[in-house]
Amino acid sequence: MTTVSLTINGRAVTAEAEPRMHLADFIRETQTLTGTHLGCEHGVCGACTVLVDGVPVRSCITYAVACSGASVTTVEGLDDDEIGKELRAAFTREHALQCGYCTPGMLMSARDLVVRAPDADEHAIRVAMSGNLCRCTGYVGIVRAIQSVIADRRARGIAAVPGAGRTALGPAGSGHGEAIAARVAAPAVTAAVVSREPAAVSESLADWQPQTRFARSFVVNHAVDAVWDFFADTGAVAVCLPGASVSGDTSARNVAGKMRIKVGPITAEFHGAAEIDRDPLTKSGTIQGSGRDRRSSSATRGVIRYRLLPQGDGATEVELDVGYRLTGPLAQFSRSDLVNDIASRLIAAFAQNVEARLSGTAATAPAAELNAGRLFFSVLAERIKTRLSHLFGRRDG
Amino acid sequence: MKPVRFDYARPADLAAAVALGGRGDAVVKFIAGGQSLGPMLNLRLVQPDLLVDITAIAELKRVDQTADALILGSCITHADIEDGRVPDVTGGAMRAVAAGIAYRAVRNRGTVGGSLAHADPSADWISALSALGAQAIVHGARGERRIAVESLMTGVFESGLEPGELLTGVEILRLSPSARWGYYKHCRKTGELAHAIGAYLDDPERGVCRAVIGATGTRPLVFGDAAALFGGGAPGGAIDRGFAERAMAAHGMADAIEQQIHFACLRRAVAQAHRA
Ligand SMILES: Cc1cc2nc3c(=O)[nH]c(=O)nc-3n(C[C@H](O)[C@H](O)[C@H](O)COP(=O)(O)OP(=O)(O)OC[C@H]3O[C@@H](n4cnc5c(N)ncnc54)[C@H](O)[C@@H]3O)c2cc1C
Ligand code: FES
Ligand code: FES
Repeated sequence: MTTVSLTINGRAVTAEAEPRMHLADFIRETQTLTGTHLGCEHGVCGACTVLVDGVPVRSCITYAVACSGASVTTVEGLDDDEIGKELRAAFTREHALQCGYCTPGMLMSARDLVVRAPDADEHAIRVAMSGNLCRCTGYVGIVRAIQSVIADRRARGIAAVPGAGRTALGPAGSGHGEAIAARVAAPAVTAAVVSREPAAVSESLADWQPQTRFARSFVVNHAVDAVWDFFADTGAVAVCLPGASVSGDTSARNVAGKMRIKVGPITAEFHGAAEIDRDPLTKSGTIQGSGRDRRSSSATRGVIRYRLLPQGDGATEVELDVGYRLTGPLAQFSRSDLVNDIASRLIAAFAQNVEARLSGTAATAPAAELNAGRLFFSVLAERIKTRLSHLFGRRDG
Repeated sequence: MKPVRFDYARPADLAAAVALGGRGDAVVKFIAGGQSLGPMLNLRLVQPDLLVDITAIAELKRVDQTADALILGSCITHADIEDGRVPDVTGGAMRAVAAGIAYRAVRNRGTVGGSLAHADPSADWISALSALGAQAIVHGARGERRIAVESLMTGVFESGLEPGELLTGVEILRLSPSARWGYYKHCRKTGELAHAIGAYLDDPERGVCRAVIGATGTRPLVFGDAAALFGGGAPGGAIDRGFAERAMAAHGMADAIEQQIHFACLRRAVAQAHRA
């Protein structure tokens, strides 16, 4: 717990809060000012917008402790505010709300716009209000209400105030608080409790559709038979894939294992099982697997189809067709363009490691998790060919 | 939608922040505006033991101007730039880019340093500052070093910063009065992260002609000598489409539709720069 002191609607308040408590929860739970609403809690919907040091801020992704000493205004603080009154009258007149969930955030953003906007241009208002979502009204009434307040004030000779008069630099709310030292002891590293998942992929692939699919290929400078034999040993293959490891009998059809992926600040460790089928006639195989990351409670299921194609010069092309589905919080960040990059890096590292192992130049220690974009620019990068890269996954940002 | 428990420190100076950031016995994350880290914390995709708030360090909000450059501390916000609270050496280019990032409430806290360190390929500063040829200034246990913004990002969410290293500022070179600039960001909803970016700078007085294709899913694709894009013609003329497409393909962008959208953004950026 940390003691957080700040000013809310002109009143100095002090309360105990955990550092992880965001400003919206601080306002709602320690001050019972429940006018501030929470919608998405990741900065997208605008319901939680409040004024901090006079300018709008997302209170769901601003931690209360980071605002020590700041001055906060919530929708309750607009009761006697001149612009607040004008906006409420205009919202009422224009039917600018229905359920009212978005309204506190709308009013805070609108108030800021009324202060700053030089004129009541409809397009500019729509752009400026685009960070506040409303599921009921269709926005027409909201835009009209704001337009009328701006037009009216400018007609009364009240000029716009650029930047709402802010002069301080840096994140709004910062710069007031005293320095805070970290607690001395290093927090205990919480040991992940991992239960073994059954080594079986229960559902069949027949009725399963991947969300995203992509195809890649790479070339290994070894003959098809050598590569084919190497692929039979799941343990050896896993060693080549950064972050992957398997347990138990690694020549069996069903294997259990885990895959650790580190992408920037995100670390995920998927524990799961895979089922491997190989067809020596066509030198192709299918690996279907599923896993769960307990930290983020995200889950994935995927299938990798591979095919080995002899090249004229004694080399082998490995064709990969990957399809997967990701659910849970990680899916929020799995824009297909990002996954594409991660896959490229993983496959580049994998190809490099397979080459090294087959040439007998590899260390036997398993590769650490994928941890650096640099991998992508390694020697093998040129040989990675993106084929039929028909990514038909979502690409929502 | 609540983060895991973490400890919080707010050092008053750079040395203390770098010391905390380099702690090997715990998962330590710097936090500036929290506008990218906050969502990840709330979704528990990031589970740190300690957050080090760097916004109380005065040096990170500094603004230094020399005859030919501007240095902005890493904690300068998008809104500080948009509103002109900091000087502009780019003829309004940076103000316009800043105004197109996210929404006002996000711009009031999101910082230029946080945006670069976060290394989201779809973010605006990584592309815009690459096109402007800016330098990132980085402090770590071993002192200061500089990295060209164009080579800062190594992959999705991966910057070339070592663990514990702090990005302290960016240096932006002053454009000549005759410099031309264009920036085109394609997104489906106003204020969201880009699906494609085109950026273009032609500053013949300084002998600089640069272009960037951004939001590529990985590092921006930078043309350090963008004159080559015009197939031997004058900069600002028709872009050699085959040249651009080969560059995109070599950058891992094989999809024809992706190439088309990115090419269109670049073309619009060039047209913007050479308009009137
Ligand atoms: C709804 C929404 C829409 C958005 N739309 C856009 C958009 O259209 N375009 C765009 O470009 N961005 C967009 N963003 C992101 C926004 O611009 C962020 O402000 C920015 O990416 C991160 O800056 P920050 O100061 O908030 O960094 P933080 O979230 O505090 O930190 C981000 C990461 O960088 C690290 N970090 C921060 N500062 C430093 C430093 N000085 N040195 C080393 N590491 C550091 C942190 O440890 C963390 O890993 C959007 C964000 C939201 C919530
Ligand atoms: S709850 Fe804060 S933006 Fe949605
Ligand atoms: S009035 Fe219901 S969400 Fe806007």
